Amino acid sequence: MTTTDGGAALPGAGAAGPPGQHAPAGLTARSRASRRRTVLALARVEALLLIRSWLALAGVLAGGVVIWAFMWAAQPLWWDADWQIGEGQLTLAMAVLVAAQLTAGRPRRDAMTDLYASFPARASTRTVAQLAGLAGAVPASLLLIGAAAVVVQLHGPIGAPSVAVLAGGLLLVIAAGAAGIAIGARFPHPMAGVLGALVLAVTSWQSQRFPGAIPWLLAWPLESNGAGQLDRLPGPLAGYPPAAAHAAELAGVAVLAGIVALAVTTRRAPVRARAWLAAAGAVAMAVTCLAGAVQLRPIPTADLNHLVAETASPASAQHCTTASQVRYCLYPGFGRDLPALEAPVDEVLAHLPARPVQPLTVRQAVFLSLGDPVLTHGHPAQQVARWAAQLQRATGIPPAAGIYLPVGSWPAGGGLLTVARFDLALAAAEWAVHLSGTSGTSNGFQPCVPVGQAREAVAIWLAILATHPSASELQGGLQAGHLFGTQVGSAMVPIWNYPGVGNGYVTPPGGGPQLTAAGYRLASAMTSLPQQRVAHVLTGAWGRWLNWRTTDAQLAAALAIPMPSVPAMTPHPPPGRVAPGPGPGQQSPVCTG
Amino acid sequence: MHRLTAALRDDQTRPVARPSVPWLGALPPLARPIIRTMPWVMLITACLISLVYLAFLAHVTHAPSSPLGPGALRLTFLPAVAALAFVPRDPFRPLTQTTPVPAWVAPAGHLVLAALILAATCWAQLRIIAGAAPHTLGQLPAVYPLIAQLTGWCAVTVAVAAWVRRTRYADLSGAIAAPVSLSAVALAWYAPITSRFVAEPAASPHGVTIVWYAVASAALALTGVALRDQWHRYSRRLHYPFRKNR
Repeated sequence: MTTTDGGAALPGAGAAGPPGQHAPAGLTARSRASRRRTVLALARVEALLLIRSWLALAGVLAGGVVIWAFMWAAQPLWWDADWQIGEGQLTLAMAVLVAAQLTAGRPRRDAMTDLYASFPARASTRTVAQLAGLAGAVPASLLLIGAAAVVVQLHGPIGAPSVAVLAGGLLLVIAAGAAGIAIGARFPHPMAGVLGALVLAVTSWQSQRFPGAIPWLLAWPLESNGAGQLDRLPGPLAGYPPAAAHAAELAGVAVLAGIVALAVTTRRAPVRARAWLAAAGAVAMAVTCLAGAVQLRPIPTADLNHLVAETASPASAQHCTTASQVRYCLYPGFGRDLPALEAPVDEVLAHLPARPVQPLTVRQAVFLSLGDPVLTHGHPAQQVARWAAQLQRATGIPPAAGIYLPVGSWPAGGGLLTVARFDLALAAAEWAVHLSGTSGTSNGFQPCVPVGQAREAVAIWLAILATHPSASELQGGLQAGHLFGTQVGSAMVPIWNYPGVGNGYVTPPGGGPQLTAAGYRLASAMTSLPQQRVAHVLTGAWGRWLNWRTTDAQLAAALAIPMPSVPAMTPHPPPGRVAPGPGPGQQSPVCTG
Repeated sequence: MHRLTAALRDDQTRPVARPSVPWLGALPPLARPIIRTMPWVMLITACLISLVYLAFLAHVTHAPSSPLGPGALRLTFLPAVAALAFVPRDPFRPLTQTTPVPAWVAPAGHLVLAALILAATCWAQLRIIAGAAPHTLGQLPAVYPLIAQLTGWCAVTVAVAAWVRRTRYADLSGAIAAPVSLSAVALAWYAPITSRFVAEPAASPHGVTIVWYAVASAALALTGVALRDQWHRYSRRLHYPFRKNR
């Protein structure tokens, strides 16, 4: 390819030999140096062409989009973010594979094998140069890593990046390029490269279907599939992912693919050269298999014991601080989130006429799934059952005075952070008005509904006052006229989906009640009144408003405003939409606590 | 009897009835070359990869929380869609344009044959999924939106390939069309603006079906325009002297 591009003559090109004939065993030092210069010159050209390839450029852009799509929502945790950067590298690797296959297969695809054979550089020399030219993909990969790292840093990450994981992403790109050259050397049709890239992608996308730790043996199991709990861990876990071994495996695959490409293009090589290739191939295979075996080792029991203990009894690992009589317990490294958590809670507390007796605790929580075979593979079933029982004892419905923040769900910034702050303020307000998800008659996992209760509107008003969310976000919970309802007794009660209700930023006290559309409409009307007037009414009879028997109509009357009407709800959601809340036949209890 | 004799006499004197489209008579003899020039190996290889990989996934799936479903079918169908990008090709276009039969007949014939192969692949994949998770099949959404999605993907891929064929990058039309069309589909699938129209559960099954069949119709119309196009664009500058000569 490079020699037909009309460029300058390559320095050090050796004398042309008959096509297919290779160097004799007694190659002189001068001819070896000449060949090395040829390889270097060709490699430089190949690398430049790869850098300028539109495929590689598109791969960088697509990789950046993939990384952004995976990471934009939540605050980055470096033990998770570095693996997600690798997912972007997977996209770049697919593009490099296709580009390398097109390069390697061009002589045969264009029916110019004879012309290429007449060139001074032999087929094996060109293959070595193409393999060395994969260095052209390194800047693209490093650019992707660097740009992603800058974005992560700007979002205030927790932890530190793993060099082994980032290096693994780089090696993935090189291995894919080497595989592309091997494919192109044998199968010149462009479809072969596209198929190779698709196989690379589909195996990674479907990695969760493989048993045990097999997903680690694939190119780069997607975090949403194979390595699905990285974003839920409170810190890095040794061997999850097995980054160094995975990088070694990818390096072994890259060398193996290069040897296959050379073996395909040097079929008539001397016995000694073939022996060297075979030996190198055996070493590469051994390294790959060894790295694979290391990845299949189970995570040490002590590490999993520690993780389960951190999850089941977070008090043993978390650092707790008390501010404004509220206890905040965060895992090590998450301390920088404290001001963002304190602000909305303090705003709610500032508007409270009186605090509950029971103190509030805001605590981080890890929702670990031990059913993930990638995490617990290799451990006896009894041990896994013991861990599961340990977690079961600790989890369950949170107490009425506890707000839980799932690790990895707190947003990095922007509009989502506003929503998360509103959710936290609402949870604190629900604690303040004694409104807990479990304050009704127990009905399985169904949260209670504060039907027609004044304290619901008070809680929503407090949260709105504390965080000032936009009216459109609040109004969006009414689903643009299509009210969703939950069955309470014999009546269908229209509910209000507050902003971020399904995002899981915050688990309110007792899991949180289901809020009603009537409560939101009254709270919305309260925000249009002067704040002092509302505060005066609430302070005057705070205990009365907290009573679950006090109705929202009474609160509206005390405020001298008409009780807002709730439009008639749609009995069934429109086709294709799933209504949050209980399904048909399930009833929610009334919050009575 | 007289009438019959008159009819026979009229028939002898009347010119032989010819089809309204003069080249339709050449279609039967064209069937064999169309079948022979079809890229069978590549297409069947890709379809087999789709089938074998889905069967492999059905065999190794151990996660009860994520049973094999339409998502796996979509992903494993991608190689077959990518192969379709290499089907609309006519390497002797300058020659075939000079024959009485329109030049688009051969690539259109290839596409019809490829559609049959892809339909068979899709049917086999649906059977694999039904066999892998018979207890969950009843809970799966209807199949018709899935078929509409796959039809749309195929049509978009063919349209992109047909249009790239009309550019200076004709030799790499498949290699360009496959990633471009798959990227476009992925973008439409995941972008918040478009995903609410083209992907469940944000869009209803009926909506998804209508949107993807609309996309497929538009793509097929564009494919038709590209296949019927007469010019062969070697260079843009060539147009100007021709216009002046007119």
